[in-house]
Amino acid sequence: MNAHTPMTAPLLTVRGLKKHFGGVKALDGVDLQIRPGEVHALVGENGAGKSTLIKVLTGLHFPTDGEITFQGAGFVPGQPQWSKEAGIQVVHQEFNLLEHLSIAENISIEALPKTRWGFLDKAEMRARAVQALDLVGLGGISTQRPISSLGIAHKQLVEIARALQTDSNLLILDEPTATLTEREKDNLFQIVAQAKARGVSVLFVSHHLDEVFAHCDRVTVFRNGRTVTTEDIAKTSPEAVVAHMVGRHVDHTARETRAHDLGAVVLSTQNLISSANTTGHGVSVEVRAGEILGIAGLVGAGRTEFLRAIFAADTPAGGTVQMDGAAVSFHGPRDAIDAGIGFVTEDRKLEGLILEMSIAANTSMVNLKSLFPKGWMAARTEADQAATYGRKFGLKYGKTGDAAASLSGGNQQKVVLSKWLANSPRVLLLDEPTRGVDVGAKFEIYKILRELAAEGVAMIIVSSELPELMALSDQIAVMSNHQIAGTLERDSFAEEAILKFAYGQAQ
Amino acid sequence: MQTATNLAPDAPDLKSNRLTLRYVLQHAGIGLALLILVIFFSIASEHFLTAGNITNILTQITINLILAVGMTFVILIGGIDLSVGSVLAFAGVVAGKVITLSGFSDGTLITMAVLAGLGTGVICGLMNGLISAWWGLPSFIITLGMLNIARGAALHVADARTIYSFPFSFEEFGSIMIFGVPILFLLALALVAVAWVVLNFTVFGRMVYGIGNNEEAVRLAGHNVMFYKVGAFAICGACAGLAALAYMARLNISSPIAGIAFELDAIAAVIIGGTSLAGGRGSVLGTLMGAFIIGVLANGLILMGLNDFMRQMITGLVIIVAVIVDYYRARFSTT
Repeated sequence: MNAHTPMTAPLLTVRGLKKHFGGVKALDGVDLQIRPGEVHALVGENGAGKSTLIKVLTGLHFPTDGEITFQGAGFVPGQPQWSKEAGIQVVHQEFNLLEHLSIAENISIEALPKTRWGFLDKAEMRARAVQALDLVGLGGISTQRPISSLGIAHKQLVEIARALQTDSNLLILDEPTATLTEREKDNLFQIVAQAKARGVSVLFVSHHLDEVFAHCDRVTVFRNGRTVTTEDIAKTSPEAVVAHMVGRHVDHTARETRAHDLGAVVLSTQNLISSANTTGHGVSVEVRAGEILGIAGLVGAGRTEFLRAIFAADTPAGGTVQMDGAAVSFHGPRDAIDAGIGFVTEDRKLEGLILEMSIAANTSMVNLKSLFPKGWMAARTEADQAATYGRKFGLKYGKTGDAAASLSGGNQQKVVLSKWLANSPRVLLLDEPTRGVDVGAKFEIYKILRELAAEGVAMIIVSSELPELMALSDQIAVMSNHQIAGTLERDSFAEEAILKFAYGQAQ
Repeated sequence: MQTATNLAPDAPDLKSNRLTLRYVLQHAGIGLALLILVIFFSIASEHFLTAGNITNILTQITINLILAVGMTFVILIGGIDLSVGSVLAFAGVVAGKVITLSGFSDGTLITMAVLAGLGTGVICGLMNGLISAWWGLPSFIITLGMLNIARGAALHVADARTIYSFPFSFEEFGSIMIFGVPILFLLALALVAVAWVVLNFTVFGRMVYGIGNNEEAVRLAGHNVMFYKVGAFAICGACAGLAALAYMARLNISSPIAGIAFELDAIAAVIIGGTSLAGGRGSVLGTLMGAFIIGVLANGLILMGLNDFMRQMITGLVIIVAVIVDYYRARFSTT
């Protein structure tokens, strides 16, 4: 047992690792060192680069720059197969199981055993499965059951069993506890402890600091694609880790004092339960004309689902929405739009824009029918509308007939804003309005949103960037597990306070 | 401002020489291929570029062109309609039954038959569209079912017999030529023009392209996606009904076994014409070119003395080449 001797050569060393996607620097110089037989936690805000690092280590992404040493030798990941052969196993956040195949088949899927004659060796497959399931405390379950018959926690355990069966050197667990109950979590951490006792190193990615502090040896903090620090758990505190995650930098998103007065409540929700919310408790918020309500929270806290429920993009499971104090019942986005709501979605490419179509066509996508009530389109009218918004928002483009795909992220987002504003909404829902947008365009978008607020538009903004929320919002509601965990007024905004609510530590 | 310079790092890429190649592929590619074919066959066979043979080609491609126009709408929204050949037969025998009724004037009979043929096609198309859009099922399967239903219905209604002796004025209409161009082809050409206007200058057309590209974005922009999807299938059905009427006017019969495998040529014309099977990209003018390429190939290869089996093989090859070209076209437009 030399896990506690720092002198041992590290199992994995990552130095200056970079991964750029076009102009987006997902990893911008990451350092990480994992010792043999340690449980190493990796934490950071949404988008800090944790998932990207895992994807590089497991061969899903090819790194842009940097060096990786594994077991004392240089290691160039590039194919998932290479990482597996080197002994890096990963349990991904989302499941990678084949739903219609049996547990046994899933566990052996990476290297199916064959008989002398080349047929599937089912006996061997079953034996392997029984052994692997034993490791995760699922010994009693039939290996012949199809994956689709299992509950979500059992699926997770099968996934872990699959990762554990081959003797790996490094086991990566990406948010493994999100779907587990308390008892199942205890079971999981027992498995982690056993793996550690066998000398396996574990990289544990988590949003839950209590788990990190209870079960890990060291913790590395990522921020904006860089390593901030690596600390011994024994020598640090949750508060210090949160401070590292947030960073001490004062962002240039200066908070401006609001010059206009707020109007009456335009939109409110009463115990609104989104379709993904199984807690039985909904969300109640209200937003006034000219007010910006920020919604903070971690990925998976149910923020996007809440906005979609308001907009009736998904049918809510319960609760009501009121506009101007009267209950409304939307049967789909059309009704919400007719009531004066706009929805800038999180994913520009999948939900916001039609990339192959022109800037003009995208700008008129929402008000197309009111622009051309007879059904005949006039290219000129459409181009004029796009040009008007282009001027207003300082859009950098060639012609209004160019494909939206030709624009940069920030300018694409301006087109999305244009298409909603063309319909003169009274309420605007915005989900991560500056994701994938460069700094210059970001400030231009902030300016647009502030102007809209001054004109009396009510806004609900979901964002994972706390400086952004704090700069824009009049009030911030923090969501955790589909609930409002806490609400902060403008004069009490602080990142630490928001994160405490988000991590559910305030109770 | 330092930020203004790097706002659109990938924009120039689209404007460089890649655009020219893409432009050639998208706009000249099909027309160029057709031109090369015509020149090749003109050299290879002295009979090819004669007035009589050109009339022949136009007659031969008319039915496929009408079906392919409707198919363009369905493929543009990201669907497929395998039932058009059978629907043609069904609409044909329904119209044939109506047009051979006794006790009405020729004019009345023809009007009723046109309405019956179109109506039958529209109803089949509506069923295809409603079922696949309402339950979100793949139109491939639903229209495969309709292929069998409509064929069975055609055989049942016609009692498995060919229907003939239509009113004289109807039979005569189908053989009218204007300067050597069959009137049925001119009508098909007019249909292409109407479809082109609908696809490019109406809200309906915009929605067809929008849904094919990004259905969720269109839905979240507040549009009734189902209406447009069903509409595209109804148009495809109406075209099958029109094709049935053209078939009757040309051959003076309606047969319950007409149109077998016609859907394949219609799909081929659309794909060769550069419309993406994934939806959202393409044009009905391309479809016109595609129908011509299939027709010219068939005619020219037989004039060269190749048998029909060889012709079929070469047509198949052209379809595969068209899809490979489409693959590169898609890559050029996304990078």
